[in-house]
Amino acid sequence: MLRSDQILATVEMIQKENLDVRTVTMGINLLDCREKSVAATCRHIEDRISEKAGNFVETCNFVSRKLGIPVVNKRISITPIAFVGAGFNQDGFVELARALDRAASNVGVDILGGFSAQVEKGMTETDRQYIMSLPTALSVTDKICASINVASSQKGINMDALTMLGQSVKDIAEATREQNGFGAAKFVVFCNQPGDNPFMAGAIHGVEEADTVLNVGVSGPGVIARSLERLISSRNDRLRLDEIAEEIKQTTFRVTRCGELVGRQVSEILGVDFGVVDLSLAPTPTIGDSVGEILHILGVDAIGAPGSTAILAMLNDAVKKGGIFASKTVGGLSGAFIPVMEDALLAEAVGSGALCLEKLEAMTCVCSVGLDMIPIPGSVDADTISAIIADEMALGMVNNKTTAARIIPVPGKDVGDKVSFGGLFGASPIMEIRNAGKSKRFIGWGGRIPAPIHSFKN
Amino acid sequence: MQKQIIISVMSQDRPGIIADITGAIYELNGDLADLNQSVLFGYLTMILIATFDAHITSEDILARIAKIQSPTKLDVIVKEMDTPLDTSHSGLPEKTYIVTAQGENKSGLVHGISSFCYHHDINILDLATTRTDNRYTMILQLDLSRVNSIIEVRKKLQEYGKQSGLHVVMQHHQLFKVTNEINF
Repeated sequence: MLRSDQILATVEMIQKENLDVRTVTMGINLLDCREKSVAATCRHIEDRISEKAGNFVETCNFVSRKLGIPVVNKRISITPIAFVGAGFNQDGFVELARALDRAASNVGVDILGGFSAQVEKGMTETDRQYIMSLPTALSVTDKICASINVASSQKGINMDALTMLGQSVKDIAEATREQNGFGAAKFVVFCNQPGDNPFMAGAIHGVEEADTVLNVGVSGPGVIARSLERLISSRNDRLRLDEIAEEIKQTTFRVTRCGELVGRQVSEILGVDFGVVDLSLAPTPTIGDSVGEILHILGVDAIGAPGSTAILAMLNDAVKKGGIFASKTVGGLSGAFIPVMEDALLAEAVGSGALCLEKLEAMTCVCSVGLDMIPIPGSVDADTISAIIADEMALGMVNNKTTAARIIPVPGKDVGDKVSFGGLFGASPIMEIRNAGKSKRFIGWGGRIPAPIHSFKN
Repeated sequence: MQKQIIISVMSQDRPGIIADITGAIYELNGDLADLNQSVLFGYLTMILIATFDAHITSEDILARIAKIQSPTKLDVIVKEMDTPLDTSHSGLPEKTYIVTAQGENKSGLVHGISSFCYHHDINILDLATTRTDNRYTMILQLDLSRVNSIIEVRKKLQEYGKQSGLHVVMQHHQLFKVTNEINF
């Protein structure tokens, strides 16, 4: 039998510290669902999803009950839809979105991701039609998430696509005006988008993947925060940062193991390959489940104060190190997320003026994703949005890492107002955008930003 | 022809008890299958299973153990098994769960939770308790193989916890293995 203290530590982790498996995401290949007409393709896609994921939610719930660990979300990711719908027009893509929404509701998953395209080097006519379909597609569906890869370290940044996307983000928000522009929270722009990320809104089933695969996203900022508090309060002598990093590593190991256990059991029952565990610290608006809180515990009195980036760098690295040994295969994004609206303390720091866009951008250089869930005034012009995204893409491109931007221009709201989407999507004051309207000439060039010199490794 | 014999020993704990007992078994050509021991506040109890040649009797074993020059008194029970126990697989059943129950110390806590287990056809595989200050902690390893609905037991256990003022948590044992051991 295990030692009593080990058992009690594990019980603490599960019961009091918000340990859960954030998501089990089933990736489904749809490439061979293409038929001659849009309607026939839609039917084929719906059949495929119900065939592969019919028992998915039930199985996740069964394993969750058996093990006593909550599995918060059950999701599906699909082959980027622009590949599946090659040759279809804007209206065709909206129909595909509706079919995917029906299929997702039919099998009972929370969200379906992969209404996506990959245009990091150039756009096809299909890609343009796909981009134009986004405002309608995201406003007439409930469960669909969209993403687009516009940059990579290998290919550079497609600025023609980025120019379109600033306007698309505004149009998506406008099309969902009654929900405060919520549509834009379901759309994310990537550099170096991974094909096995289980987290939304950026989950896709990459074309390099097998027919069906299960990926698991673990979370647990609350677990890390509580373990650090315990460590700090239990020590009378001076605690050093390397000891703190070690504690984060060990806690992440445990958290990841829970995800690995759930993933292996679900995949075994369903007879589907187990892909990766994504070891991300994904905060939720729940008090005590915040990445911002960890920064606070580790020594900055305001989130965004000097030192925040260094702490985040250490946190991100320790999370990866702890998780990598715990899981057979690690993938996806793997690191700490800093989504403003979804993290109560980050949102608070935006409200108090401690955390500005520029500091967030710096922090994204060392964390695993990017400018995430940031509500900005609805009046900010499209070119400025494109330029904010371009800056974030450049960070990813040059540093060989994934970066993403999920900016929400909230219609009719300005700095000082607050926006709330409820549930896991959270709430935040609107963030100030300094120097808005001053990037028009840059965005006006179009073309491509060439790949950086260190991409030429052949 | 071999026979299976169970030996149980109780004694004030000291170095050398296991060496003494297993030495006696060895001299009688016995083959030790498994042994388990536990020490509580300095008092030891152990149980072991061994196989012997058919002509060895309980009395032979008791007589040999009696010859041990022990500074502590050894209370020994020896039992020949008519139907041999299956010692081929010692792993835990698939439906092994760990229950932790914590609360203010009062009499009847262990009786309460063990009666709960009995009434729900749950076998207790292992049980450890600790008391610090006035808090009592029980950790039970349970076999729920005969239980149809885990959800139902979980619900009942919560109700039981509420009634008895205990914070009760039940989790599958694998969860504890994977979070505490290197092997998966």
